[in-house]
Amino acid sequence: METSKLKQELVKLLGKDKVLTEDLDLMYYSYDSSFLTKLEPSQPNAVVFPKSTEDVQKVVEFAYANQINIVPRGAGTGETGGCIAVQGGIVLDLSTWNEIIEIDVKNMQVIVSPGVIHAELNNELAKHNLFFPPDPGSSMMCTVGGMVANNASGLRAVKYWATEPYILGLEVVMPNGDVIITGGMKARCIKNVSGINLTKLMVGSEGILGVVTRIRLRCFPKPKARGIAMAVFDNLDDAPEAVMDVYQAGILPSGIEILDSSAIKAVNDFKPEIKLPDAEAILLFEVDGNPPSVEYEGQVIREVTGQRARSVEWATEPKRMAELWEGRSVTAAASARVRPDGSRIFAGEDISVPISRVADTLRALRDLADQHGIQIVNYGHIGDGNVHTAPVINPEIPEEVEKVIKFVDEVHLLAIEMNGSTTGEHGVGAVRRPYAELEHGKAVEYMRKIKAAFDPAGIMNPGKVF
Amino acid sequence: MEFKKLPPVKDQLMKCVRCGKCRSVCPVFAEVGIETTAPRGHVFMVQMLRDGKVEPTNEVYERLGQCLLCETCSVNCPSGIDVHELNAAARSYIYENNPSAGKELLFDTLWTRPGMLRSSARVMSTVQKLGLQTLARKTGLTKILPGDLKEAEQMMDNIPSKSARSSLSEINPALGKKKYTVGYFLGCGTDLFNPSVATATVDVLTRNGCEVIIPKDMKCCGLPHIANGKMETAQKLAAHNIKVFKAYDLDYIVTDCASCSSALSRKNMEFLFAGLKIEDEALALSEKVMDLTVFLINVLDIRLPEDKTAPKIRVTYHDPCHLANAQLIKNQPREVLRRIPGVELVEMKAANTCCGGSGTYSTTHYEMSMKILDKKMDNAMATGAEIVATCCPSCMMQLNYGCKRNNWDIEVLHPVELLSRYYRNN
Repeated sequence: METSKLKQELVKLLGKDKVLTEDLDLMYYSYDSSFLTKLEPSQPNAVVFPKSTEDVQKVVEFAYANQINIVPRGAGTGETGGCIAVQGGIVLDLSTWNEIIEIDVKNMQVIVSPGVIHAELNNELAKHNLFFPPDPGSSMMCTVGGMVANNASGLRAVKYWATEPYILGLEVVMPNGDVIITGGMKARCIKNVSGINLTKLMVGSEGILGVVTRIRLRCFPKPKARGIAMAVFDNLDDAPEAVMDVYQAGILPSGIEILDSSAIKAVNDFKPEIKLPDAEAILLFEVDGNPPSVEYEGQVIREVTGQRARSVEWATEPKRMAELWEGRSVTAAASARVRPDGSRIFAGEDISVPISRVADTLRALRDLADQHGIQIVNYGHIGDGNVHTAPVINPEIPEEVEKVIKFVDEVHLLAIEMNGSTTGEHGVGAVRRPYAELEHGKAVEYMRKIKAAFDPAGIMNPGKVF
Repeated sequence: MEFKKLPPVKDQLMKCVRCGKCRSVCPVFAEVGIETTAPRGHVFMVQMLRDGKVEPTNEVYERLGQCLLCETCSVNCPSGIDVHELNAAARSYIYENNPSAGKELLFDTLWTRPGMLRSSARVMSTVQKLGLQTLARKTGLTKILPGDLKEAEQMMDNIPSKSARSSLSEINPALGKKKYTVGYFLGCGTDLFNPSVATATVDVLTRNGCEVIIPKDMKCCGLPHIANGKMETAQKLAAHNIKVFKAYDLDYIVTDCASCSSALSRKNMEFLFAGLKIEDEALALSEKVMDLTVFLINVLDIRLPEDKTAPKIRVTYHDPCHLANAQLIKNQPREVLRRIPGVELVEMKAANTCCGGSGTYSTTHYEMSMKILDKKMDNAMATGAEIVATCCPSCMMQLNYGCKRNNWDIEVLHPVELLSRYYRNN
């Protein structure tokens, strides 16, 4: 369909304030945080801003009738090109539809529209002593809809896992314009095994099966206390061993983070005042709960990790906790600044491996980086084996781009070789789909069949996942 | 220097990973919520401009021009990108390739000639005194003003009839023993719209042993020109001011205007004169420049006697972006207030969020400016303060207008005015 005709039709459906079709405006929707879109921005034919299920339904019905691609988008903070119209189409920017529709305190649930920002949701829930536990690093800007699409998680996945277990039900506009509710029309119940679990199918499907328009989330009581332990290791191998020791001691921390020597150096170069000890690895354990249990768990962590670590520090005082945590919280920024003429890129940044193989993986990553002559910074959620590798290159030098593309490919293959996954929490999108067959084998055929059953016209976010 | 070779364009563009952190802090994005207003979107557009993927058109300028240049994104950027510098550089590049006559008149002619600027302010003040502005509003004559000026003219109520300059001497001797010779950079906003701030500045400095010199020939600091794509004019103004201040033997150069101190700062001079011959001289000037509140606390360390009988007054403080973001100065203005007997400092929510004034922004983007202002006023009013203090004439004008919009009958003052008031009353 011609742009002018498309514009006319969309304006007719939604009104002019909810539609963008100027070429210049569409360019702003050609990127997310992925290295792919940095190299190859890909702009849509139109962007719309739905503010209701009806708005979404109207656009999807129109797209279905005219065989136009639909690409749902949250805040565009993803690292996979998942919200980019790589094959053209209409981008549904759902981030402006940000309503907390209902907080059901008694049943510990909340209903939100897809554009609600994660941190803002938790600020509201905190007023009722509740919280929505998954905590992506992009909490300040990512939308709950985007978290659902990618089954996002974060630093506290060790204890609280990812988004999926918290989704009690969804309202979804299907690719032909039908509106369905998963989890049941009246489901305020926590447990529900009735029917095929379409909620589970939708969460993490990256917008290829339908558009999520309403989300019913389960919340947890907000923990009253928190403590942080920092353990310093002279030998990298001791770090994952110490993690397993802590689990064996019956402790499930809310988060366990690792900084390897590359990350320690990056943090110290960026902010010398933090003064991270020079070491092969640093582990940060976070525990939460009631004050006596936090104290007890902290004590156990100190004793257990102390058997392998050079030193262990335990803190429950907010100022000291903030200082200890600062090393981890500035790692991403520090990676970006590790080379004055370079930039951190988001590619190969999210592999997930067995906890027992984290040390091997970190070493293998360093070797790969050396082979390709690329500077990297490694950090991640060691408690669940999710390793974030930050390659730092000058993306404007073609030779460096070529090198890093090869490096990233080998990083993904390494993850599979380690019995892991190419992505732990960021998703597949457009960037990791070449590995689908290798990771899933024959299961990909069944994924395609599911996709075809939901979206026979093939208009929902094409070019993603597999 | 050629656009592509400017340091931020050359070194920083490629650093943006589009993480979107800036979406969570930008006051304009908070209102609009779409990517065309996100700071990372501006960075992307500057890159497109550099790479020749878009032409330097009015349409591109319009999009980049939505940014307040409040620098909130820059201080929060994990990759350390000076988003505001990229935006300003791009505006200048577009302007060079696509000039607009209106801006020529305002920024190259009027604003570079202090005498003419003062005469204009006097004329406007007279117009107001004669009731002609009210008459023009009633008869609908203001509607013929271009763009947002038809709304923004409402902010220009009560322009003082006399500029600060007209009532202050060039050389103001120290009272008592002289400690320092201080050059006072009297900014346009203070001079024309808040002369009482200038009087208070001179009063407080001289009382504290400073000889205050207000060079006759100084001109605008150039910040409005940078914001409006007139980089070359800003360079000429800065070069002029460097020459003017060099003629005096000064220990410090002090200003009560956040925008002026930010324009004269090392960071801005590096941006403005990158690679040019004059850079060293510009940096030498910057070394001496200090915000007034920093000077009062860090250098003079003003101390007032304890006075339990001083009347209690509830004051809240608004952080000007050009102090809090551009220079990371947050503590000293508050400390000045705390040291004034009787002052109870009450923090407002989001004190360091932009008020929407941002120099000329309120006149070019009136509606957006008002949305941002309304949030600021809600936060300020919630404190129950009797005085809103701030260190920037543009913020003062905006906050005064916010008070008027909300029928909130309080004073908007620079901390130095409160300090001077205390001295005079005791």
